[in-house]
Amino acid sequence: MLEKIRGFFIDKQFIRKREFLKSLSIFKGLSARELGQLLQMFHSRTYHEGETLFLEGDIGRALFIVESGRIELTKNGPGGRKQPLAELGPGSFFGEMALLEHLPRSANAAAKERSVLLLLYRSKLDEILHGYPHIGVAIMTHLARLLSSRLRRASESMAARGTEPAPRDEAAA
Amino acid sequence: MAEPAPSRRVPFSWPALFAAGIVVYLLFRIHAVLIPFVLSFALAYLVDPLIHNFEARGLKREHIVLTLYLVIAVAIGVAANFLLPAMTSELSLLQGRAASYYTGIQDTFAKLQAEVAQRLPWGRHIVEKMSLKMYNPLMEHLPKLPTYILGLVPLFSLLFLVPFITFFMLMDSKKFMQQAIDRCPGRHVEQVLHISSEIDTSLGNYLRGIMITAGIIGAASYLGLLALEVDYALAIAALSGVSSFIPYVGAIVGALAGGLVAFFQYHGFAAPLKVVALFTCIRLADEALVQPLISRHAMHLHPMVFLLALMVGGKLFGFIGLLFGVPAACVIKALIGVAWDYYTSQTQAAGHLSPEGVEVPYI
Repeated sequence: MLEKIRGFFIDKQFIRKREFLKSLSIFKGLSARELGQLLQMFHSRTYHEGETLFLEGDIGRALFIVESGRIELTKNGPGGRKQPLAELGPGSFFGEMALLEHLPRSANAAAKERSVLLLLYRSKLDEILHGYPHIGVAIMTHLARLLSSRLRRASESMAARGTEPAPRDEAAA
Repeated sequence: MAEPAPSRRVPFSWPALFAAGIVVYLLFRIHAVLIPFVLSFALAYLVDPLIHNFEARGLKREHIVLTLYLVIAVAIGVAANFLLPAMTSELSLLQGRAASYYTGIQDTFAKLQAEVAQRLPWGRHIVEKMSLKMYNPLMEHLPKLPTYILGLVPLFSLLFLVPFITFFMLMDSKKFMQQAIDRCPGRHVEQVLHISSEIDTSLGNYLRGIMITAGIIGAASYLGLLALEVDYALAIAALSGVSSFIPYVGAIVGALAGGLVAFFQYHGFAAPLKVVALFTCIRLADEALVQPLISRHAMHLHPMVFLLALMVGGKLFGFIGLLFGVPAACVIKALIGVAWDYYTSQTQAAGHLSPEGVEVPYI
């Protein structure tokens, strides 16, 4: 009976999305309340099969999190051919560099099947950083770790190939 | 060697600009009809963070809105129980003393005229000019004051209409937003939501800021006037609080209205001076203590832009224009910011400046 009353007041879809956020490494260590606050800052959008999220060169504005479906990342190759970079499934996130600087995307992103994505914007992240510093710090710490890991991997990869690092770092997708 | 970034043109379309111009013109033509909607939108904006707070706990939006309206209805009922008798007594006091105020003003002006005429050279000439320019029109309008107050009655319909429209805005705003996002072409969702996020952040902070300021000024005025034992404390405080929606005006209106009442109540200058000192202190405390807290994350406008926004708003849309001139300027500034951001992103793309220390190897 109590459960039925609770079910009447509780938004099941919200709880499901909150649990989804909880499962992501980027939001590790946040309480249910904090995840709830964070979820308020996200926009949700359903993309149909083949629909473009962004193209290489578009200015990056948001972090994307794949809630369901599959997203294909490609890069423009010689002769306009698209070279596949990665295919991302539920729980993956990309475009996080847009939260740090507004630079052109370095890859194309399109939905490979019907996909639901969550979008987080820089202005909303600023709100989080001011209003809920604990959440903001957790996200920024994770982003810093992620960047550090990518840079380490890139350095190792270049060292293995015996190449010099490029003079300018390119923005990630 | 990295390929140079391809040059991209900032999207610009004359038809889109023309269409936007027509929309703005039409909105201007029907602005009187839009007033309750604009006020409801502002109210919904103010209440929304509270609803968000409960939504973050997993509660359904519609239940939160319904509960909120019930709580507000009960609060209004309780407040009316306390405030209505106070308002009624203040109004009956005003009604009883209106005649004496009228003759009091006449006497004061007559005395002032006599003093000026007697003591100053060309005094009689000055008095005649003053009578012609200030006194006569004022005395002509004063008996019509009840008619003017009655003229505000249609505004009271907004008291019922605005909460009604706000209710539906609060209930369905998320659905509308989601529908707009879903209908927006996939590739442009990111940019459109970026603009709306920027506007949302600056406008929301501004509106919440002025509401908090108005509430604090109103409450402080009421307590201060009660302490000074000035009549019509509640009415003057309410007037001062509402006037604070137009920045800087609240304290001035409060000081003028309170000073006049204190002058006729105590028949001297000591009490009005105390009232002016009270509103000066309130204004300074607002500037020193409240504004730094509430405007920390709000959009900052240059005082000249601020004044221009007030004047243009007032000229185009009257009183409502005064209220919403500055928020509109905030939206325009946010849009310019987004356009500038877009432009700088383009130029950064061509020659992206890395932060200092980037040349140090990763170790």
